[in-house]
Amino acid sequence: MDLTTTVAIDEENSVARVALAGALNTDTAPAFELRLQDVVKGGYQLTVLDMKDLDYISSAGLRVIFKAAKQTRSDGRKLAAANRKPHIDKVFDILKALPDMAVFANDEELDDYLDSMQQRVRDD
Amino acid sequence: MKNSFSARLIVLLTLALALIMGGGMLLDYRFSREEILKRLAEEARIEIGVAISDTENWLKGVQATTQLLGRFLEQTDYSEEGLQQLLRDVVANNDEIFGAAIALDPGISDKPAGFAPYYYTSNGAVSFADLASENANYQAQPWFTAPAAAGKPLWSEPYFDTGGGEVLMTTYSVPVYRFTDSGERTLYAVVTADVTLEELQRVVSQMHLGDSSYSLLFSREGLVMSSRNQASVMKHYSQMAYKGVDLDSWQTLFSHALDGERITADFPCPETTGRCTIRMGRLESTGWPIGVVYNQREILAPLHRYEIKTALLGFGTVLLMSLTVYLLTSRLTRPLQQLSIASEHIARGDLDVPLPQARGEDEVSRLVRSFSSMNRELKTYIQDLETATANRSRLEGELSAAREIQMSMLPGAGKVFCQEGNVNLWAQVLPAKTVGGDLYTYFRDGNQLLLAVGDVSDKGIPAALFMARSISFLQQLAGSDLAPDTAMARLNNALERDNQSCMFLTLFLGALDLDSGELCFASAGHTAPSLLRQGRAQPIAQETGPALGLAADQAYPHNTLQLAPGDRLAIFTDGIDEAFNADAQMYGVQRVDEAMQAHAKLPLEACGHAIIASVEAHAGEQPQSDDITLMLLEYGASNTRYSSRGFNPGAELTSRIESWLQPLLQHWALPPELIMELNLVAEEIATNVDKYAGLAANEQMLFSLALQANTLSLEVRDPGKPFNPLKEGHRSTLGADIDSAEIGGLGVHLIIQLTDRQSYRREDGHNVLRVEKDIPAPDFGSPGEQPDD
Repeated sequence: MDLTTTVAIDEENSVARVALAGALNTDTAPAFELRLQDVVKGGYQLTVLDMKDLDYISSAGLRVIFKAAKQTRSDGRKLAAANRKPHIDKVFDILKALPDMAVFANDEELDDYLDSMQQRVRDD
Repeated sequence: MKNSFSARLIVLLTLALALIMGGGMLLDYRFSREEILKRLAEEARIEIGVAISDTENWLKGVQATTQLLGRFLEQTDYSEEGLQQLLRDVVANNDEIFGAAIALDPGISDKPAGFAPYYYTSNGAVSFADLASENANYQAQPWFTAPAAAGKPLWSEPYFDTGGGEVLMTTYSVPVYRFTDSGERTLYAVVTADVTLEELQRVVSQMHLGDSSYSLLFSREGLVMSSRNQASVMKHYSQMAYKGVDLDSWQTLFSHALDGERITADFPCPETTGRCTIRMGRLESTGWPIGVVYNQREILAPLHRYEIKTALLGFGTVLLMSLTVYLLTSRLTRPLQQLSIASEHIARGDLDVPLPQARGEDEVSRLVRSFSSMNRELKTYIQDLETATANRSRLEGELSAAREIQMSMLPGAGKVFCQEGNVNLWAQVLPAKTVGGDLYTYFRDGNQLLLAVGDVSDKGIPAALFMARSISFLQQLAGSDLAPDTAMARLNNALERDNQSCMFLTLFLGALDLDSGELCFASAGHTAPSLLRQGRAQPIAQETGPALGLAADQAYPHNTLQLAPGDRLAIFTDGIDEAFNADAQMYGVQRVDEAMQAHAKLPLEACGHAIIASVEAHAGEQPQSDDITLMLLEYGASNTRYSSRGFNPGAELTSRIESWLQPLLQHWALPPELIMELNLVAEEIATNVDKYAGLAANEQMLFSLALQANTLSLEVRDPGKPFNPLKEGHRSTLGADIDSAEIGGLGVHLIIQLTDRQSYRREDGHNVLRVEKDIPAPDFGSPGEQPDD
């Protein structure tokens, strides 16, 4: 299975939305890593990995997400995952991966979060 | 060229000739040198002799003239004028005489001062001087007193003449006596003739040998009268500054010469290099020592000229000779050189290079001829070889097509794995040559599975053709519902017909009842199959008939074997049990049984591969001597599903595994959740092997998947470095804070968490990792509800 990555940038809110579709495995991880690295280097406050259409993830894929999380964390920025399918969730659970990573169960939660962020910016 | 044969020949011949020539010329030179030296010495002697005698004659002339004048005076009385006239004539007519005087004894003369007229040459004219003046007092002069006292003619020591010629001279004085009436002899006069040293030197200087040679003349008392250096004249020889000759030598030379001996001395030349020689003797007329000094080199100049001429001649001859040798050698060896160049071309594969012309019957020509005939034969040979190679590759192409055709006659084209009901069957044939005589086949007829494994005598094309015949007859048995023994007898008759070449076939033919597990079979001289039952393998008991195709109408015994669930049966040809190793030991049925036992735990396909690998390992470097066929049968696997596949490491590994695993598991009707998890486990295992086992590109990791009862098992075998991922694998600490968490090392966690049992073992140089997962029966449960979760 292949992996399709779509990146949408919301410059106003400094949010990058990376949508994954397909399988993130040993074969597809290297290309995804390059793609994600480009996004992370963009320096957006929040990078959301939208896993709505992600059917499969292996440790190689998790490694890439791990690495990106580490980088954004050290820069004081955030990496979040949204719309994880149950079996993807299970892999994350097994590996107790990223316990402190923001996780949005669905698009509503994500939108709420983004709204609140916007609100905070306006308040400042 | 430097190392060429002709160059060596030229150098050696020239050297040899130069040595011979040089030796000859050296000998000639030695003899000629002796000759020349002798001749030169003789010439020098003669030349000196002539010069001395010339000098002697010149002096004798002076002496004779003077003595003649004295004789005149002795016998004739002249008037004073007459005497003066006589004297004047003598001086004027004798060039050698510088001046002459007649000095009368003063007692005889009328004048008190005596009478002494003197005529001498002055500026080309004859002048007169009167010696009888008051102050001249001639009667006291040595030229007067000495001869008068001695009573005989004398040459005076050289002196400077004052009052007369004012030159250096020596005087010859002759006393003239007259007899008185009483017969007493009294001195009448002294007659003198003067000779200038200049004139003497001129005469003596005729004596010379060579350009820098000069003559020496001494007076009796040792005054130098003639020498090269005018400053030495009138000095005593002992005062002469003369390099190279010391005073003692001069004294020796002088005294010996004065005594009339000839004497020679060598000394280093004062002005030039080399040795000089001085030769001395005595002038007999005057008693003066005379000598000549010469440079030996100048004397030997003709010899040197001869030497140079000889050397030039020798050099020229050697040059001419080497040129001749060069031309001759080049001409003789030119074909050889051309041949050498041609052979280099031929060695590079250019056979069309022109060869030199061969004329005559000499060795080189014969060599050229045999070389060119060799070249022709080589060309023909290469053409033949090309044709043969072309034929051969055509034949090989045909053979490989034949192999494909032959293999297509076998189910699975030579390698097959299939499941028929509760029976798993795996078979493979490996021909020893491109085409072979082994065969296997099977077909299902209702609940009967027909099996056949056979071996045609011999190998190669005849065996392959006979095999094709056999297999077509075997296929005709499908649907015939014949018992194996009857079918065997029919096959025998069919093959025996028109079998002119007496080929034969050994065959195992069986019919397995899939429901009861009863195997009825007949054997036509075929090796008994081995049965693995409860971990022990041994050949089954069988009664066999003769091989097929040799004689018609044979009966074949009917055998039966009841298979129990879990039994495995190995049916093979003698390519396996008669595989020889380097020590000529056969593999043997015993080893087949051992291999069956050793690999009993392996899935059937892997077990088959392992047995064949074991046979190949036994044979080692020995070429495969016979076709190899192995058929494995596993009974009672009704609830066992099994599949395996090998994967090479490298790109797209995960995708390749997935594309095998996914459809297989879907086919086995496993829930999607489980499929995804198993996929994940397979990927993690493969990634680990790829990373740590260090497999070569052509080495495979073998994935075997089995579903038995409610357990799904995955076994991965790889021939890589020993590596136990369960123990040695890098495993990160889970649940760590993101800052301290390690990146990577997650795979093993997934493998362990997503399966129920994991084990690792090292076996036959392979890493074997086995994982098992229980599946909740009968409806596999619902996704995500694992008991250990």
